Amino acid sequence: MTTKELEQVLLQQPVSLLHRLARGRISRHFRSGKRKLVDLLIQASVENRPGLESDLAALIEEQSHRHQTAPPVETGAKPKTHPRPAASPAAPRPHKAEEHGHHEPPVSLHEWLSGIGVPQAQPFVPDAWQVDALARLAETDVVVSVPTGSGKTYVAIEATRRAMQDNRTVIYTSPLKALSNTKFTEFSRLFGPGQVGILTGDRREHAQAPLLIMTTEILRNLLYDAAGGEIDVRLDTLGLVIMDESQYLADPERGVVWEETLIFCPSQARLLLLSASIGNPQDIADWLTAIRPTPCALIRHTKRSVPLRAGYLHPNEKLTPLFRTAGIPYGQPHLLHPEAKRLFTEYEEDTGPSRSR
Amino acid sequence: MPPSIHPVDLVATLRQRNLTPAIIFLTSRRACDEAMQSFERSQVVLPKPQQEQIARVLTQVTEQFPSIAEHPLIDTVQRIGVAAHHAGHLPSWKIAVEELMRTGSLDAVFATTTLAAGVDFPARTVVVTQSSIRKARDFTDLTASEIQQLAGRAGRRGKDLVGFAVITPSPYIDLTVLTKGLTGQPEAIHSQFVISYPMVLNLLKAHPREQIQSILAKSFAQFQLNQRTAVLETKLDGLRAEMEPFGPRVCSDWITQWQVFDQARKRKKPRGPSARQESPDVAARLHFLTPGRVVGLVRGRGIILRQYRSKGQHAPMVTLLREGGSLNECPASIVTQVFDRTFDCEETSAYPWCTPHTLEQLTHHLMELPPRLPILPILTHQHEDIPLDSSIIQTLGDFACPSCPSRQACQRDFPRASRVRQEIQRHMKSIQALQTSLWHRFQERIDVLERFGYLNATAQLTADGEWARLIRIDHSLLITELIRAEAFGAIDPPLLAAVMASIAHDDDRPGSFPRGSTGLVTLLFQVRKLAESLAPHEDPPMLRADVAALTERWVADQTLTWIGLARLTTMAEGDMFRLFARTIEFLSQLKTLKHTHPSLAESADRAIDAMRRGVLEELP
Ligand SMILES: Nc1ncnc2c1ncn2[C@@H]1O[C@H](COP(=O)(O)OP(=O)(O)OP(=O)(O)O)[C@@H](O)[C@H]1O
Ligand SMILES: [Mg+2]
Repeated sequence: MTTKELEQVLLQQPVSLLHRLARGRISRHFRSGKRKLVDLLIQASVENRPGLESDLAALIEEQSHRHQTAPPVETGAKPKTHPRPAASPAAPRPHKAEEHGHHEPPVSLHEWLSGIGVPQAQPFVPDAWQVDALARLAETDVVVSVPTGSGKTYVAIEATRRAMQDNRTVIYTSPLKALSNTKFTEFSRLFGPGQVGILTGDRREHAQAPLLIMTTEILRNLLYDAAGGEIDVRLDTLGLVIMDESQYLADPERGVVWEETLIFCPSQARLLLLSASIGNPQDIADWLTAIRPTPCALIRHTKRSVPLRAGYLHPNEKLTPLFRTAGIPYGQPHLLHPEAKRLFTEYEEDTGPSRSR
Repeated sequence: MPPSIHPVDLVATLRQRNLTPAIIFLTSRRACDEAMQSFERSQVVLPKPQQEQIARVLTQVTEQFPSIAEHPLIDTVQRIGVAAHHAGHLPSWKIAVEELMRTGSLDAVFATTTLAAGVDFPARTVVVTQSSIRKARDFTDLTASEIQQLAGRAGRRGKDLVGFAVITPSPYIDLTVLTKGLTGQPEAIHSQFVISYPMVLNLLKAHPREQIQSILAKSFAQFQLNQRTAVLETKLDGLRAEMEPFGPRVCSDWITQWQVFDQARKRKKPRGPSARQESPDVAARLHFLTPGRVVGLVRGRGIILRQYRSKGQHAPMVTLLREGGSLNECPASIVTQVFDRTFDCEETSAYPWCTPHTLEQLTHHLMELPPRLPILPILTHQHEDIPLDSSIIQTLGDFACPSCPSRQACQRDFPRASRVRQEIQRHMKSIQALQTSLWHRFQERIDVLERFGYLNATAQLTADGEWARLIRIDHSLLITELIRAEAFGAIDPPLLAAVMASIAHDDDRPGSFPRGSTGLVTLLFQVRKLAESLAPHEDPPMLRADVAALTERWVADQTLTWIGLARLTTMAEGDMFRLFARTIEFLSQLKTLKHTHPSLAESADRAIDAMRRGVLEELP
């Protein structure tokens, strides 16, 4: 690609993509406008042009994948053994460009605030994605990527219950000691205190229980010990490994521990990865499909169980919707509510030059 | 207009609009504490029944964690129904606040963004006051994932029909970062795979060296490198197609032929011999030693400001900005590693070879760099692409070209063909680098471990390697080297705990602390010296003497209470707790050496016992 061509391609990209490309290449890139950013990228690429070009190609490809509206439930790369469930919880995103243009009047504060309240108590019925995740887990590894507060814990609990019924041991890992402790209390209440053990860097209780809660580092160490010949927790009966908050795979300091654990996880055990939505869950599923004996299914959706609205509160206590629509207009950050826009401009003018850091 | 809304007014507005309970994310712990203080002065008081509910929940949690009873904020929380939740608090207090939120007893919680994933802590409304967070001393824009994690706490399943994310401005806020984050897709995960010494030892314990490459190939890192390779390979296919019309002519490699002929024709001397003296390593690196590039040196790191050749010898030289701000002219061979990191560098034609502004920025960047940087894999090729023996080009008569029937076509096609060929070679090199970079890094680690004697020449674990592989924490090389240097001979538990604390602690928050014993000061001096000598192989820990002294005091004086200890320092209780928990974790690793180093393991065991008391016993 000539510099001219590169420049053309860069100029066609959305700014967000350029910012991602600029990461690590240009300092303070988020302060630059599009034109400037393109110039800086080209300047910065002088010594590593192939690097820039391949990253650019990868990002463009990723972007094009995203825009093909992802089906709510996807399987791993292997042939699909299950038909897709007909009804799925993840309808296409509610607000699309066609549905809400500038011509529609912006939502009123009254409308925006309406509907607050507590839903009627209902008997617990698992969501379709929860049922599907459990069904898949009977046969394959599963990656669940759904928004926060969707009910991933239910899948973990049910899967644990089933594995324990088959006399298999279960390991549940979490990134944080605080979370491990919460889960220890919660699971002990559910399964009975003798059934649950905990192992963290500085705590060890019921190490022989059928359900073990541990930090990911401890599991990694166990796997190394097993490979090195000395072992104090039985891994041959291990039936299920649950990794909660597995988006920690991207943690700069600790992400490597998740990778090590996944690489060395015994092949007879099923893997259940739970995470809040991440950009490329299909990559994770494809990766696991590539390195594990069974294919890995992906259960994903992006729709929140409880819809979210965004607002703007001015320092003078005036509250207004942030966007023209009541809900969040996914993919359309520019659909700001005129009142929010006006108030924020006023704020910026008032707080003026001192704002620049 | 005030730069941001007053916390009391904020909560009042939320209450009035029926938007409570709310989590209000503030920029710092201090902001959270100050917000709480402003409530202490205000007249707002909760209705009696709600106060009683808070008291009930707190009593329950206190049964499990008695230390909560002493918390100074209990009264305020109960009176106003608002609390703070941040890393400066003890875990028990955070659990109490979480429980209060879960039971719907509070109206609002002020929290920092460290209230991260997984803590079950939802609310009806989330208030965001910032668009960037402090990471490693610099402010970085929140990512879409982070914004969605924060906003995602709004709207509790089963308790709310709808949730709210409210933005209220404070100085420095960038609204577009937030609106884009709210409406955008979360970022893709990128592998953060690094090869550590314990990883190498443990892998080589279980697998022969020949198998390692196939194990590394199973990493997500390699999976993603393969994705990039696939992109490059598609491009390579395109380039090869472009190359087709330039296939063999009269001579099979006419491009090289023409290139040589062309050069000879122009009487251009090929690159002089002096330029070739450097080793292939240095020669390969030279292309990357451009202004703004971060490089690793035998000791520390630096940023390149200029590359040039020395006057007499024509040796490759660089001007380097080093940590601490000094400028040095050095031979290019001083560079041991080229990092995949460059900064803007506005060059000038005279010393210091960049603008003062750039110099200042680079000095700053250099200080702020994370301890680990990705290394740029650079392939060294032993032979030049064009073997050009000057004796061959004695005369143009040596070439067939002048009389060759293909001469015109070659002359016409040469510029494009050679460009495409270069592109192809570059792509092939990049692909090769992507495919071998993990193995190269692994090999580098093997070399170091071999030099230190943890591995033998055939990459098998030595006796030292056998126990060293059990130390699987940060700074493992420093710790195992300390053990081998017998720095811990017959060490007392308080001293051992103190040293481990200084190695484990990685926070640079300043504070005031008690003094350490002279024994500790001397020992830390030795540790620091060793750590510095290991710097080329492992980033040294901060080795703070003050946090070490605090730990020493806690272990040595068994009559000291947690509150008594807290009075000796300005360190926040939550930070003290984390320091000790991490120290115990490090000590537990020493405990695993009971077979090879019984007295050290014994001392570690006693240190752990001594540390676990009061709050540390109450909490896991
Ligand atoms: N099918 C369901 N119907 C109604 N409520 C549900 C259902 N599944 C889960 N819940 C409830 O949703 C709430 C949130 O669930 P959970 O804590 O498992 O979320 P999560 O997906 O793990 O979120 P996070 O990413 O924040 O950890 C819980 O109170 C749970 O009882
Ligand atoms: Mg969860």
